[in-house]
Amino acid sequence: MTRDAFIKTLCRVFAEDYSEVYRRGIENGWLEQQDREFRSDLLNRRNAARIIHNYLLKEKNIPDLSDISEASELKDLYDCRVCVNHVAQVYLRGIMDSKPLSRDGKYIFFDHERIVTSDEAEVYLNKACQIVSRG
Amino acid sequence: MLSEGPSEINNKRLRYDAFSSEEPLFPGKKQRLPAMGWNSWNAFGSGNTEDLTKEMVHKIKELGLDSYGYSYVVLDDGCYRPVRVDDRLCPDPVKFPSGFKAMADFIHSEGLKFGMYNDIGDRLCSGAEVGIYKHEKIDCNDYINWDIDFIKVDNCYYMWDNATFSNKENARYSFAPNIKSVSIVGRTYNVLEDADITGPCAFVKGDYATFIGTFDGTAPDHSPVGERSSELVFDIEADEPGEYDLTVSYATGKEEGIGCWLQVGVDDEIYFDQMLPETESSESFKDSPAIKVKLVSGINKIRLMNHRRQENTLNSYSEIRKELENISDGRDIVFSICEWGKTQPQNWGHLVGDSWRILNDITFQVGSDGDHGTAAWESDYTTSITSQYNKAVIMDEFSGLDKGWNDPDMLVIGMDGIDENMCSSHMAMWCMMNSPLMLGLDLRRVEKGDWIYNLITNEDLIALDQDPLGIQAKRIYTTIPCSDPSLEYIRDNDRADVLVKPLSDGSIALAFFNLKQSDHDEPITVSVENITDSIGAKMGNSALSDLKNASSFDVKDLFSKSISRVDEKQFTVDHLDPCGCKVFKIIPVL
Repeated sequence: MTRDAFIKTLCRVFAEDYSEVYRRGIENGWLEQQDREFRSDLLNRRNAARIIHNYLLKEKNIPDLSDISEASELKDLYDCRVCVNHVAQVYLRGIMDSKPLSRDGKYIFFDHERIVTSDEAEVYLNKACQIVSRG
Repeated sequence: MLSEGPSEINNKRLRYDAFSSEEPLFPGKKQRLPAMGWNSWNAFGSGNTEDLTKEMVHKIKELGLDSYGYSYVVLDDGCYRPVRVDDRLCPDPVKFPSGFKAMADFIHSEGLKFGMYNDIGDRLCSGAEVGIYKHEKIDCNDYINWDIDFIKVDNCYYMWDNATFSNKENARYSFAPNIKSVSIVGRTYNVLEDADITGPCAFVKGDYATFIGTFDGTAPDHSPVGERSSELVFDIEADEPGEYDLTVSYATGKEEGIGCWLQVGVDDEIYFDQMLPETESSESFKDSPAIKVKLVSGINKIRLMNHRRQENTLNSYSEIRKELENISDGRDIVFSICEWGKTQPQNWGHLVGDSWRILNDITFQVGSDGDHGTAAWESDYTTSITSQYNKAVIMDEFSGLDKGWNDPDMLVIGMDGIDENMCSSHMAMWCMMNSPLMLGLDLRRVEKGDWIYNLITNEDLIALDQDPLGIQAKRIYTTIPCSDPSLEYIRDNDRADVLVKPLSDGSIALAFFNLKQSDHDEPITVSVENITDSIGAKMGNSALSDLKNASSFDVKDLFSKSISRVDEKQFTVDHLDPCGCKVFKIIPVL
């Protein structure tokens, strides 16, 4: 799905007004200029993690987990320097899942570049919504 | 002619064999002390804005931090519009609506210096499609027009290596293929019987050599000391001098350790430096096209290698520096290399930069407006104070006034997750190691007289970092048994270290660091002889003589500021707090 479709889904799940969401999101710091400029581009998992994490942190005031060391079980966690914390927060909260790297499932990874499907977005965003509901 | 991949390197000064040259590559590269200032990344990540930056500038002035040396204000990643407009860099219209020149003018009007950020790849780490690759001239022209005084250049999305966000298959440029044998002068020479492997990177697997290249230093796995690359070397005897055909039995790959790019040299002369045709797999060997080499009569050392990981990165940074110097007409710009230690920049960084990062980031939990971010004392990866220290502390021989500085990343003082003891040791470590002192906190949380203020304005510590002699401390003792504390890479933090550094006034800085998170109650004693044995060669004759001949010493505690007289030729610390330190200035009394 595209970034724009993802943001539309986010607006629906969280009852956000879609009109001017880019302006509001950028001003409030949970969207970036790239989301507006590349809104028609397909959304990968690391950008989904960034948007979800920043939305929870900056729009819903859900504080970060301070210890993210357990996320280092994701073998590709440090492949993405600028999104380590985004990935760790959504992974450790159970919002986004890992993918098996080996057949026995012993090694797992986040798979930053894989494109998010509409069905997956529904799952991620509804889990995020549940976290907000629990407070 | 190259069919694909990085450009030819015609300047021999950019070659691996010339890395140790002390002759400056750029006339504008000056001897300078480690940079001091504030960088936006640890405090605000990609969320830094014009308003936040101005608030930081106001706080620098209000706290008087500039009078302590903190002069550079650096906009890190996240400040640009994510696409070029008419091929030019533009400010993010929401975050920096007044533009970069206005930002520079404001910072300069406050008596401070202005720094910016870019990346040798085609994008920035944040994903913005404005990396400097193929835009060196136009971007440097804009940077000069924006009056920058400092530039930090990152390494994401780099085309010629498997850097962060780069295509993993770019490793094909960074490693030689697997090699089984070479044929020349009518004879075949096998790896197993006839070759020597230099350095620790390559090894023999079955009947071929693999991992011919350079260790990736981004993660904390490998020591930075010693040879970090490997070559495959054959001693070939020729009866007659002349040109000969060399063929190589090889198999290519596109992964860390197995590549497609081969360099062939005979002694110091390079004869081949390009991609080889791909093979079916990394174990399907075939013969290369004939490679012409010149041999002398007698023994010739034929070198099969790939130093392009280091050479390509140096070349990319050099392109930027060259344009800055061409355009700037002598403007004094600090050049901060940030390739995270990936290509062992301690070997080549001095040729082009004023400092070079030694590892991946010290924290990935950066802050934002209202959130201080989180740092750690220790971790298994690079994300802690001790991870960075453990590597930097054995890198003193790579730094100096005539070279530049090892950069163990920005200070994390003021972030969550670390206490005052940890921050004090962090500051003292960075000062002893002549590291750049770039504050990384939201300065609005600092008030004059609070513990953060007192720490970051500790003039005695800053004086160690900024001492005109410019000599990084040497570790002379550690409580963990080891063969050489100045060179051995130790990652077990269940220990205490002792560092010494000579100072320009003839005195000595002596620091004791407790790395473990519990008390250290075993006394540690260092003698004058220990000190002179380890750093005597770096001291002036007069200072060395004074230290040896002094009958007593004034010892100043650089935290408590107390001065005591020691009438014996040794110095002892009985106790160190968890993660704590003691730092002294030792002044000989004659």
